[in-house]
This record gives sequence, structure tokens and C-alpha cells, in this order.
Amino acid sequence: MTDVLIQNARLIDPASQTDSHGDCLIREGRIAELSDQPNTLKAPKGAEIINANGHVLTPGIIDMRVQSCHPGAAHRETPQSLANAAIKSGITSIICLPNTYPVLDDPEMLLSQCRMMSGLSTAGQDLRVYSYGAATVGLKGEAMAELGLLAEAGAVGFTDATKTIANSLTMRRVLSYASMLNRPVIQHAEDPMLAENGEMHEGEHSTRLGLRGIPDAAEDIVISRDLSILRLTGGHYHVAHIATAKGVALIRAAKAEGLNVTCDTAPPYALLNDIAVRDYDTRFRLSPPLRSEVDRQAVIEGLADGTIDAMASDHSPQDRDVKSLPFGLAEPGYSGLETLLSMTLSLWHGGYLPLMRVFALLSHNPAQILKIDGGQMAVGATADLTMIDLDRAWQVRGADFASLSVSTPFEGAPVQGVVIGTWIGGKKVYDHKLDLHANGTR
Amino acid sequence: MGNQNRQDNGSAKADDQLGFAPLQDKHLLGIEGLQRPVVEGILDRANTFADLPPRETLSHLKGVTVFTIFFENSTRTRVSFDLAARKMGASVVNVPVATSSIKKGESLIDTAVTLNAMHPDILVMRHQNSGASLLLSNYVDAAVINAGDGRHEHPTQALLDALTIRRRLGHIEGLNIAICGDIANSRVARSNIHLLSILGANIRLISPTTLLPQHITEMGVTVYHDMAEGLDGTDIVMLLRLQQERMQGAETPSQREYFHRYGLTREKLALAKPKALIMHPGPMNRGVEISSELADDVERSLITTQVEIGVAVRMACLESLAAGVLGRQKS
Repeated sequence: MTDVLIQNARLIDPASQTDSHGDCLIREGRIAELSDQPNTLKAPKGAEIINANGHVLTPGIIDMRVQSCHPGAAHRETPQSLANAAIKSGITSIICLPNTYPVLDDPEMLLSQCRMMSGLSTAGQDLRVYSYGAATVGLKGEAMAELGLLAEAGAVGFTDATKTIANSLTMRRVLSYASMLNRPVIQHAEDPMLAENGEMHEGEHSTRLGLRGIPDAAEDIVISRDLSILRLTGGHYHVAHIATAKGVALIRAAKAEGLNVTCDTAPPYALLNDIAVRDYDTRFRLSPPLRSEVDRQAVIEGLADGTIDAMASDHSPQDRDVKSLPFGLAEPGYSGLETLLSMTLSLWHGGYLPLMRVFALLSHNPAQILKIDGGQMAVGATADLTMIDLDRAWQVRGADFASLSVSTPFEGAPVQGVVIGTWIGGKKVYDHKLDLHANGTR
Repeated sequence: MGNQNRQDNGSAKADDQLGFAPLQDKHLLGIEGLQRPVVEGILDRANTFADLPPRETLSHLKGVTVFTIFFENSTRTRVSFDLAARKMGASVVNVPVATSSIKKGESLIDTAVTLNAMHPDILVMRHQNSGASLLLSNYVDAAVINAGDGRHEHPTQALLDALTIRRRLGHIEGLNIAICGDIANSRVARSNIHLLSILGANIRLISPTTLLPQHITEMGVTVYHDMAEGLDGTDIVMLLRLQQERMQGAETPSQREYFHRYGLTREKLALAKPKALIMHPGPMNRGVEISSELADDVERSLITTQVEIGVAVRMACLESLAAGVLGRQKS
């Protein structure tokens, strides 16, 4: 493998909280040397030399919530389209939900999925693909899945994906058993009874639009119950795509109490609110639903003060057919990979988050939560890196996505932040200049 | 077009040929957002149609094609639109849903595109999902009339309710109007709240807490849970239909408890103003929302008048939208 010397980069490492101007030498797939002075490292013979022109070099993004659609839903996303969408967006590792067809509640299935998903992007390069195992058989919320065997097959955590583990006894057993395996349990926190037939956030707008509401309480009821169970069982509890002010407050208090709790959110919940639904535009049909402005601000606060640990894309591809329906009949979900970075950066551009925090949310923290490799830029660390032009502007257009799913709640949004290059294990897997020639966009 | 008539809608003659178009929008999807002069223009025009002799048929919409497509069962609204279109001289096609490809899984948009290829001028649609008529309007060239979309709006029902009140009492401004029953699931309630507010009425909602949507007071209404309190001083009591399945332990405990607390009886009506009138969009559940005897009291009940006025209101709406469609075709 060719050595790579990246010169004159703004090196941002959320693991060590360093932000310096320097060089980075990659050898044998690992970071061999770092310098905090630009143009000071010497290139080994035959090394590729890249001038970063002062742009950011940071650990590759670890996206901890992705619906892979593989196996079983190639009309929504293929492993290839998924990998292409990820690497062009600076994402070097994805963690897939087990809600595939068939469900990943079987260790053999999980193993074959990870194998199948890796190495299938354009250049045959290895996007790092991890999977959660199903918490319950068939994601039915009843019998516990083979958590031990799933863990040995590589499951980095357990979840019922887009379904809530609603039964308290089941949740107790899953949390308890997972604690023995040293894996987190990831909960989609929405009381299914309270949210029954719900179409959007319950509030003034749902009333005006005549859409069935999902009250914010549907989220905090589940979180609150789960925290009580966690006090019984111990273990690591993680709330996915937290979206309400009350939910954020509960996590903040639980952390203060010393419970082993983490959570993530996704860009729509930090940047959009329920008013977006006003024309019944199904691009805004998401799960959880877009919440109120008060909730949105609480999410930003949670991101800023450390209550919310990670930002995930919550990539949930849907095809056109299931989005071209009346709002209540349309499937919730959106194509999230290609806006994850820019939308999170917009919180920095807007002055809500420090840049260091943005990259902690995107790479270091997810790696810590799931105890997987990556998320740091240190000598000896795996060279999963991405280079970003923080200021270059572009406009979100679903039609230009590499993902097969083109529905995005950010359609038309002007954003900043373009990935210039992505390296996985020291291998360049994405080059913006080549992409530019190929597609003529961005 | 229609500018000269817009200034004197009240004096518009029923035989004016397509000169009347108070609706500036291409479609009639809801009441929310309409301006008072627009609403009054339609009501004035409908009023002239309501005064026509029963057998009178006009030719204003000769050559205009109206499709009605009802994804939910309906007798009165569908027949009312059908009759209104025929009375205006339009051709009407009632697109069947129960026996058609739509039931075989064709999506609303596919249906819309197919129907659009037959070039209807006006599409009248009812659908069980809120926002469906807006979706349809994005895919067809025809003007769309929302004949009820989920729990969202049912604009022609509100217009006919307003005209019924106006013809009986002469005005709407300042009236105390109580809307009573299942507000949460009612598009009629939402359209009426918007329309009667535009026309200056004071609106009260009388409903058990479980049948009220959240934040409804943001729409400028006063809420009562006690019927006696809510009826005190009202001029009009507007009742809403309560679906059977909601009465049996879901949103309310039982039919008899609902009738006991929220069914309109002569005793309860006595708490309203002495000559207070009763309205209901139909179909009625006798003995649930209203006592059977009261429903048939022609002195107090406007229920049959509502049905009658409905045809005139829909004639005016069809005419207004057709004028827009034909005007656009000319230009």
C-alpha cells in the first residue's frame, strides 16, 4: 500500500481535543506520524503527497444509525448505493439496524450481512459495516433473541430498530442480559399505544391539519420507564434519535445521577420543527415526528452541553412510491447519509456548537459508545480519515444523491461543508475532484 | 375576468354566463386562509341560486366536465355535488371507487394522472386522509374541490351551514354558535371554526375532553365540557356525528353516557336562547347526538334546509372554479 503524506491540514482530533495546523503521514493503513507544524513531515520514498490547503482533516464519520435495506429491500437502497453515499459524505463506518428482511436476529444472518455489505462500493473499497443484533426474536418485542451468539457474530449492540421494546419485563431481561455481554441496548423511545396511528407531533399544527398527533409524552414515558429498569439491571442504555425537550431533560438528569446512559439524535430534530408539515409534504414524515420549536431548541442545548452524545444520520431510505401518498399513508423516513455532515456543520456555522463538538458527535463519541475502532487521530490509530472544506457551499438536491432514496426534509437547503477526500484504512476511497468530473455536481 | 361582477356580487343575476369568480385560488381545498369578501361573494351567489324555482336548470357550465370521486362512502354530499353540477348544465362523471382499480392498490397519484388524461375541468374528491385533496391538486390540471379530506376540512359543508344560518337569521356577525360533539375527528368542525370566525361569530365547542384535539383554543374558540354551561346564550347549536366505534369505550364510555351528557334534548335546548336553532351535517345518529323528536321539529331544526342549501352552495362553488379554469384556458 502506498504511503500518504497529507500536508498543510487543519488537524482536528476530538479524541485528544486537538485542533492544530500540521501534517499527517499514513503508512500501512495506520497513522504513522503527526506534526503540529505544517509542511514539516518528510515524505517517505514513493509516498503520495497531498496538499490539504489548510482544509480540515479529521477522523472519518461513524454513523451509528443506518437502515441498510440489505437484505430484502434493494428497491430502496443497495449495499453499493449505500456505500457510495457514505464515503462521499465522509462516513467511514456505518452501524446497520437489524430491521432487514429477514430480520438480523440470527448470528449467521448478521455475519453474512456485514460481509456482504463491506467492499461493495465503486472502487471495491471497504466501508466499515457493523450491525446491531435484534433485541427480540423477529423484532416482535417478546422473546429475547440470541444475544450472546449475536455478540460473538459481531453485533455491537441490541435494538428492535424502529420498534420500541414496549414490554417492561422484556426490556428488563434484554438490558440485564446485554449488560453481561458488555453491549448497549438501543431504544427507539415511543410508547406504541400512546402513539397509535399517529401521523405527526401533537400540537396546534396537528390540530389545524387534522393529522393524528403523537404527543411528546410518548417519548419520555418510555425513557423514564427504561431508566427505572436500568436502575434494577445495570448495563448500558442508549436512546436513539431523541427529539423532545422532556426526553433530553431525563437523560441529563440520568447522567447526573451516574447511570450508564447515552443518546443520539439526527439533524432533522435539531434543525426542523413540526411547522414544516404544513403542506402535508411527505418529506417531513419522519419517525420520531418533527417536534415543536421548544423541543428543537432543547435538542440543540443537549448537543451543546453534552447530554446528547452523538449525531447519527438515521438514514431510513424510502422509495418514491411510499412517499407519493397522502401524508398519513406515506412511510416515515428520509435519506440521511449525504446531509449528515453539512447539517451538523450548520450548527457550527450558526454558532450553536464549537467545531470540536461537531466532530466529537460525528466520530469519537459513537466509537466510544459502541466500543469500536475509529474516531481518533493519533499515531498508531487506524487511518480512517476525511478531509473537509468547511465553507464551500452547495444546495441539497435529493435528485443528486448517490443514495437510491431521494426524499430529504432538507431539499433545497443551502448548506456549507464539502468532503474533499475520504480514507479508510489508509486507502483513498473517495476523491471529490474525481467525483466532480464524473458527475459535474457540487 | 369577472372583475366587474366581483364588485357587486350581491346583485349578480343567476343567468350571468360564467361571469362570477370570487375564488382567487384555482382550487377550493379549505376555508382556512380565505378572505371575508371571497366567502361573502360565494354566499351571495349561492343565495341567488337558492331562490331559483326547484325545476330550473341553468346552462352556465355547459361543456364543463365535473368528476366526482369519493374514497369514503357518502350519499348526501355526492348526490348534492352531482345535482348541483347538472343544474348548472355541466356533464358529470361519478368515478366509482369500490369496484375500480383504486381498490386494487392503485395509488391516489396514479388515479389522479389517469383521470387527468380525460381532461375533467373540475374534480370533486373526498378521501379518508387529511391533505389528500392538496396532493391531488398537485397532479391534475383540473380545479379540485375538497369534499372532505380526513379530519382536515370540508369547505362546502361550512359554506352551506353559513348560508343556512344567514338565510334564517339574516346575519352571522355576533352570533353565539356552539359546535357540539366529536371535534377531534371532524373536518366539518374545523371548516366551520374557520368560516364562522371569518364571518364574525363567537364560537364555542362543547365536547368531552377525549374528543377535543390539543391546542384547539389557538383557533380562537371557547371550550366547554358541560353542555348546560356551553349552551347558555347560544343562537345556534351545531351537532356533529359521533362514529359508532368511538362510543364503545374508546373515546367515550358508552352510547347512553354520551347521550346523557352530550345528546341534545328539548330540556337542554331550553338552556340556549329561546329561539335557538339546531343544525347537523348528517347523517344523524338519532338518540346519540340528538333526540329523535327534536330532529324532526321544523321550528327549531335546520337539518333539511342545510341539505337543500347545499345544492345551491355547490352550484356557486362549481361556477366560481369553472370560471377560473375556462379563463385560464382562454389566456
